[in-house]
Amino acid sequence: MPNTGPAIVVDKLCKHYGALRAVDNISFTVKAGEVFAFLGPNGAGKSTTAEVIETIRVPTSGKVTVLGMDVTKRKAKVVRRIGVLPQNFSSFDRITVRESLQYYARVFGCRADIDALMDLTNLRDKAAAQFNTLSGGLKQRLGIAIALVSDPEIVFLDEPTTGLDPHARRQIWEVLKGLKERGKTIFLTTHYMEEAEVLADTVAIISKGKIVAIDSPAKLTEGHGEQLRLTLKSIDATAVGLIRNLGFGAVQKDHDNLCVSVKKPDDVRRILEEIERSGLKLGGIDVRKPNLEEVFLKLTETPVAGAQDRAA
Amino acid sequence: MTPRIIVANLGVRLKSFYRERSAMFFTFAFPVILVLVFGTIFTKPEHLNFELPVQDNSRSETSARLLKALATDDAFTTTVVPVAVDATEYAKEHKLNLLLVIPKDFEALQKQRVTGPHAGVPVPVTYVYDPSSTAVQTKIQLLDTIVAAANQKATGSPPAIKLVAASILPERYRFIEFFVPGIIAMAIMTSCLSNALNMNAELRQKGILRKLATTPITGADWLASSIVYQLILSVVSTAAILLVSYFVFDVRLHIGIWLPLIVIVEVVAFVGIGMLLAPFAKEAESASAVANAFLFPMMFLSGTFFPVEMMPAFLQTFAKLLPLYYVNEALRAAMIFVDDAATLRSVGVISAFAAVVFVAGAFRTRWDEGT
Repeated sequence: MPNTGPAIVVDKLCKHYGALRAVDNISFTVKAGEVFAFLGPNGAGKSTTAEVIETIRVPTSGKVTVLGMDVTKRKAKVVRRIGVLPQNFSSFDRITVRESLQYYARVFGCRADIDALMDLTNLRDKAAAQFNTLSGGLKQRLGIAIALVSDPEIVFLDEPTTGLDPHARRQIWEVLKGLKERGKTIFLTTHYMEEAEVLADTVAIISKGKIVAIDSPAKLTEGHGEQLRLTLKSIDATAVGLIRNLGFGAVQKDHDNLCVSVKKPDDVRRILEEIERSGLKLGGIDVRKPNLEEVFLKLTETPVAGAQDRAA
Repeated sequence: MTPRIIVANLGVRLKSFYRERSAMFFTFAFPVILVLVFGTIFTKPEHLNFELPVQDNSRSETSARLLKALATDDAFTTTVVPVAVDATEYAKEHKLNLLLVIPKDFEALQKQRVTGPHAGVPVPVTYVYDPSSTAVQTKIQLLDTIVAAANQKATGSPPAIKLVAASILPERYRFIEFFVPGIIAMAIMTSCLSNALNMNAELRQKGILRKLATTPITGADWLASSIVYQLILSVVSTAAILLVSYFVFDVRLHIGIWLPLIVIVEVVAFVGIGMLLAPFAKEAESASAVANAFLFPMMFLSGTFFPVEMMPAFLQTFAKLLPLYYVNEALRAAMIFVDDAATLRSVGVISAFAAVVFVAGAFRTRWDEGT
């Protein structure tokens, strides 16, 4: 039956392990057909949340519905309509790519087009390779193919590119873009901002078990990001005082470099003129528009080295 | 429980097993090797032939007769020890646990015993032996028997008492007949318990269980798949053990309807135990440790290698608490003694045990959370 309501509704979800509040009272909705990225540092609670929705874990409290069905009460129905790539996906060592897909198709009792799935994930020439001979990227692609075996409405991908090289990562993104075009709802957890920026319609940032921000990537960078970020390369530390005197408080020291957050392009010009006047040597500059990474670091930050420079 | 899922699981597990050659070896070849080794060491005691070094200082007709008597019945093969050496030193030096010394005046003394003034005095023949050797007692007994027979023959009168053997078993029963059912029971137990634990730990450690938790597979499907899989392995392994036993040792064991029945209840019982123990063996390393902690006491205390009756009373009582003891009892009652009532009693105990662990195991096998 076609689902017209939201794909996933999470309402006041809590998951505690003893005193640890892995997931602390979070609520959000995933619309049908969107790519929803769940972003957070390691241990923030993103996989725990994903595993509750995937029916693997039982929530301490709160309610989770998938396609209108309560995950704790209708697990058997829910698993037939979702496809899951778990974190650190692995399969049976001595079983080939084709056999693995056939196995999961049989388990789901569905007539999957195994060849089409291998084409989609670019695994056709590895069909007869045993799982333990595959590289990390190929294993993840097989995991995605397996997640699609039952032609699910919602696909969960728990850190699909963690530990992969940039090339393999981009190959996975291509596969995910293909899924998005087919109208699948995708629930993606990741700690790579770039991944969320490239793929997601909605990004939720989770930190210490709580959602700290949720919006489209564009709106998140607008709302939380600084407008421009100027990096002065290989410059003497005395420049910090100079820049602060101009009224820019947010100066960060990063090795030989100084990072300054500014509002408008004209600010950049003022700072560079001041440095030129002072005669300080400057190795180079870099001006960047804000990205999700900065929003992420800002929202999930814990006091680290360098924070004291910013405090001034 | 879905037959389709059970068949799919079986396919994957059998393929994995077949492709993992070391697993194949341990499951099938190991018990067969045990049968071959122990069978060769302990079988056919009626054809025992020991080497017996003899220092014949007499070198007479009389001593030659004695040597001939020793060699009859194939009990001993005599070897020559040089006359010049000291017998005790020689035995020590050559690590001999038994050495016979015929005195120089052997023939003369024999003659005197019949006619001379020393008539009726027995003639001493010394044996030098190593009391720390376990095998030497058998040899000494054998030597005694032969000497007794020789004495009896010398006196000319027929024996006063003759022992007649009457076995309680329908057929001749050797060590190998006792041993083979024990090995069958042990092989099945080892395979079920360690496979259940290792498979579980591996799937858990690699996160495959987490993936399976998001499929329609239920705990009951998984348990049923494991049981059918182990049944297949157990049938193959039992067949291999029996074939080797027949062809190599010509065992006389009764194969009837009880054997498959006992194999089934044993598999259910030990796969069930494996499922119950799985939560205590989350990593591959601890899986082997947990498996061995159960396997070794069972193997040695349940009468696999030697009869429980050989153990002290308190260990015998303990043995009766072990499920493998009843499997051994059942298999031997069915295969050696052909005693239906005794078989039924033991099968009843294992079946009750299997039912309890199966139900407990099925409850315990849950995907979510524990993964």
